[in-house]
Amino acid sequence: MKTQEQPEQTTQTHSNGVLSVKNLTKEFGPHLVLDSISLSIEKGKTTVVIGPSGCGKTVLIKHLIVLLRPTLGEVYFEDRRIDNLSELQLNDVRTHFGFLFQGGALFDSLNVFENIVFPIRQHHKIKDWKEVEELVKAKLAMVGLDGFQHYFPASLSGGQRKRVALARAIALNPEVLLYDEPTTGLDPIRSDVINELVLKLQRELGVTTVVVTHDMNSAYKIADRIVMLHNGRIVADGDADHIRNHPHPVVQQFINGQVGEDDLAILRMSGTASQPQFLPRDFEA
Amino acid sequence: MLATLGEKTITDISNIGQFGRFLWQNAGACLRSSWNHRTYPLIWAQMHIIGVRSVPVIMITGAFVGMTLAIQAYDQLAGMGLEERLGVLINISVVKELGPVLAAVMLAGRVGGALTAELGTMNVTEQIDAVRSMGTDPIWYLVAPRVLACVLLTPFLIIYADLLGILGGYFVGVIQLEINNRAYWDFSASGVGLWDVAVGVVKGIFFGGAIAVISCYKGFTCREGAQGVGQACTEAFVASFISILALDFALAVMFKAIYNTFWPFKSLVG
Repeated sequence: MKTQEQPEQTTQTHSNGVLSVKNLTKEFGPHLVLDSISLSIEKGKTTVVIGPSGCGKTVLIKHLIVLLRPTLGEVYFEDRRIDNLSELQLNDVRTHFGFLFQGGALFDSLNVFENIVFPIRQHHKIKDWKEVEELVKAKLAMVGLDGFQHYFPASLSGGQRKRVALARAIALNPEVLLYDEPTTGLDPIRSDVINELVLKLQRELGVTTVVVTHDMNSAYKIADRIVMLHNGRIVADGDADHIRNHPHPVVQQFINGQVGEDDLAILRMSGTASQPQFLPRDFEA
Repeated sequence: MLATLGEKTITDISNIGQFGRFLWQNAGACLRSSWNHRTYPLIWAQMHIIGVRSVPVIMITGAFVGMTLAIQAYDQLAGMGLEERLGVLINISVVKELGPVLAAVMLAGRVGGALTAELGTMNVTEQIDAVRSMGTDPIWYLVAPRVLACVLLTPFLIIYADLLGILGGYFVGVIQLEINNRAYWDFSASGVGLWDVAVGVVKGIFFGGAIAVISCYKGFTCREGAQGVGQACTEAFVASFISILALDFALAVMFKAIYNTFWPFKSLVG
């Protein structure tokens, strides 16, 4: 299916793009994960990157904050090239970003209060701790967890951990918020809480938002623009309606959650050849 | 076959380069931390974990080394009628070699393993990336305090090991085997100088640095999953152990050269 590998030619370059990548290519050893991607993220909008597991979504979002360095290509933040900066120079750039990691990545050894204070302490000289306590209270209130200051991450549920991580991500009032799979591992109700939080923060703080997800309900709900990755390339780019009506079979297959003919063929072969007793009946003609 | 060999060589060279870069970044971070008062609380916290909590195991190690040496050496010396020289044999062995090396090996197991496991877990759960994403250098925040705490405290831990080694030897030699107390200490004092004690203690600075840097590096570069963290801990201990032995040899050669060079002035240093 050669046509599936062709990148969409409508990759948008917005004039007011706050964040952009140009011809971004990433290889891990012999594996090509991102293949010459160009993308511009519009200021103040929510861009959602979708795609099947292993297509390079997380790798892409980590390049936006240069947690990974490109094999080829460039990353720009407010028209300044950032992928070639040293780690020390990047520290200043990264204060403009908030990053929500897939598992939250809260520091186990610190309680909720200390986790949220961490970025503040790193970049500001704290003179008035009362003021900081108020700030932490306000950030936790934004994610609906005021009162949890003294809890340790181990005693929180998955959804609570993500909300605390979100409070930490917005501690420095970033201009760009990056979310890596914010609803993965959560039940539908908790997922929706996170979706509402993403919308609320975007509305109230006016931040530019980039979300990586494979949860289509979440994508339709929060996205101003949806970009679909497949085999390291952009195959679709547009608003929710554009994606819903996209003619590309890979896009339709993904958004409708249908298994492809290629995958079915592999399952049939592996089932009959090695372990016929496990042949799934559903796949029988 | 040739391709496999070539691939392995390239990987090894790449790993050496990566470690060298880590070492360089860490040296810079340690220097910056030395005059940055914001790092001091982090160093204090690590000193408590690495230093204070290691005191009991280090003391037990030292005591058993001294006692075992006394038991092993007594018969040999007694056969030649030299049992009163047991003190000098035990004490010179403990302060110059066995105390520093065995204390360092114990630290590599206790502290090195914990450092690798902690940083490795932080690595696989993206906590190190989280530190970076918030505009903080993880080498400065996570590695430098641990390395500085190890470098500063390992010499003191070696003094504890030496002290308990000497007391252990005394306990077995004088109390149990009934060697003359005065002769035991007189021979010890004549054979063990300040230089010998200083050599052992200075070794601790190098051993502590090697253990901390290797363990932190293995934690930072460990592969994902429980198996990855476990394997990193094992590799960290093995690499630390070999480094301790190699450093011990290199430092012995170096100190011998220094001693011989300054031999005419040795009365000034003990």
